[in-house]
Amino acid sequence: MSVVLECRSLTKKFNTITALSDINLTLERGKIIGLLGPNGSGKTTLIKLINGLLKPTSGSIEIAGMAPGVESKKIVSYLPERTYLPDWMKVSQAIQFFSDFYGDFDTERAYDMLKRLNLDPNRRLKSLSKGTKEKVQLILVMSRRADLYCLDEPIGGVDPAARDYILNTIITNYNDNSTIIISTHLIADIEKILDEVIFIKEGNLNLHSSVDAIREKEGKSIDSLFREVFKC
Amino acid sequence: MKGAVNMQWELNTDKPVYLQLMEYIKADIITGVYKPGDKLPSVRELAAQATVNPNTMQRAFAELEREGLVYSNRTTGRFITSDEELINQLKKQYITGIIEDFLEKMEQLGLDLDEIISYVTKISQNNKK
Amino acid sequence: MLRKLIKHDLIATGRYLLPLYGIMLVLSLVNRILSAIDIYAGYFEIIKILMMFAYGISVVASIIVTFVFMILRFYKNLLTDEGYLMFTLPAKPSQLINSKLLVSLLWNIMSIIVVICSLLILFLTSKRIDLIHSTLDNIFTSLKSEFGTNRTTLIMIELILLVIISIIQQTLLIYVSIAIGHLVNGHKVLASFVAYFAINTILQTVMTAILLIGGYVTDVADININIIDLPQYAIAFSLIVSSIFSTLYYLITNYIFNKKLNLE
Repeated sequence: MSVVLECRSLTKKFNTITALSDINLTLERGKIIGLLGPNGSGKTTLIKLINGLLKPTSGSIEIAGMAPGVESKKIVSYLPERTYLPDWMKVSQAIQFFSDFYGDFDTERAYDMLKRLNLDPNRRLKSLSKGTKEKVQLILVMSRRADLYCLDEPIGGVDPAARDYILNTIITNYNDNSTIIISTHLIADIEKILDEVIFIKEGNLNLHSSVDAIREKEGKSIDSLFREVFKC
Repeated sequence: MKGAVNMQWELNTDKPVYLQLMEYIKADIITGVYKPGDKLPSVRELAAQATVNPNTMQRAFAELEREGLVYSNRTTGRFITSDEELINQLKKQYITGIIEDFLEKMEQLGLDLDEIISYVTKISQNNKK
Repeated sequence: MLRKLIKHDLIATGRYLLPLYGIMLVLSLVNRILSAIDIYAGYFEIIKILMMFAYGISVVASIIVTFVFMILRFYKNLLTDEGYLMFTLPAKPSQLINSKLLVSLLWNIMSIIVVICSLLILFLTSKRIDLIHSTLDNIFTSLKSEFGTNRTTLIMIELILLVIISIIQQTLLIYVSIAIGHLVNGHKVLASFVAYFAINTILQTVMTAILLIGGYVTDVADININIIDLPQYAIAFSLIVSSIFSTLYYLITNYIFNKKLNLE
């Protein structure tokens, strides 16, 4: 099926706080999509819902027609904002881990990308700088042949050279059967690689449009439009 | 007029990117960086180089194909047209465009045609030294 | 999937626990060697005492550290940053719990076995082997004469089961306390402790109630129980109650991980 994500009236509440409200969203395959919004707008909540880390309060969410669960996790590759690999592991052990648990993991490609970084697979994650650790996690996530990639703030807090590397990795791993969702608040840096953007404002879906349509219609960059929409 | 192969791709984000990509590739064709019949790098390669979405680069290629500057062979990839006539026409279009812009600016500065030619000749001779 | 989870848990925990056990075994060997050397000098006596002391600590440490470490592993691997990795694996939360539980059980039992081995290394001589053999023989003979051969075997098996189920129950009690603590918004650790004590109290109350009611019922119904049968009834009863509570703790933990997970 060509639809890789479908949200219908998706709502998530935490006690009295509504993090996401009545989200209706359909995402097609083969796109790089920006999930944009300020901190606390509900982006991370949506990503957690996609990954089965949270359960909806009401409404539904389906990945390639499946509710979040064991089967959907096989086709979703997730890069969270934080370091989620155990510190004691060597890079090679982390690769082994992914290879063990994910049938779609391409070990050769992972080692290839590592080599281009000049990173010794025998090093322990503990000994790596924060930026390098993030690159390793990105490599692991992008080495999976998943249907949906969820990258949560992949370029936040990273130097410009690393940012280029990360964007380059995303572009070269693109294929027209998979969709990549990039959640970020650093829009100017990534807007050239996006097909579509989604604006989430205070838990609501504010906009879902192709990037070209915005540039042609509004004559602005996504970054400018974002600043308008989210003016404080 | 800047080609992209030897320089960075500088792209404006408030205009459609695919149009800008086309301009860069056309510039490379006109200046001879891509010769007639040359094989273009793959969509993904160029997209990575330019740090743009592969679909955007794809769209640029498709438009260039429509204009006849590029043709694709399904198995071997995309090639610059061997139609030198077409390329020369494009070159002429660019040259005309640049000169028209230049003339407009010179007129704004209040120069007439003779003065323009005299300035052009003098500066061109200086540059040769 | 479960096998892979277990393999990974073993690797992650073994790298700390195996050296610990190794040290304990080495210390027992060292002490064994030292006790065989005949040097009567003050400093040597001090070394011997220190080594024995170190060994003693390593024994206690092995058992306690194993238990505590496995609890911390459960918390760290599932409910801190690593939880983002574990809960997005294509595995059911029940499989995650099962893996942690089984590996915990394994190491807890292993720690006891290794301690026994180290004691054997320390003390075993051919004379003592005979002594242990004859003592065990005596115990079993007198048990068998009291309870009969079959029943004795049954009681032995039940006792081993009881030890295992008790370890499982204690572990699951802590797991469910951690899971309940996770539901609370701040002070999760405090909430876990509160949950632990609350559940324990409920458990004690229920047990006492059952015993009282049981006692009353057997009184009123004039049921006579043979003293001979008592150990079996007691053990069987403990097994059943432990199993019920263990299952309850498991189901609650599983429910929380399935429906109420909320990683920071």
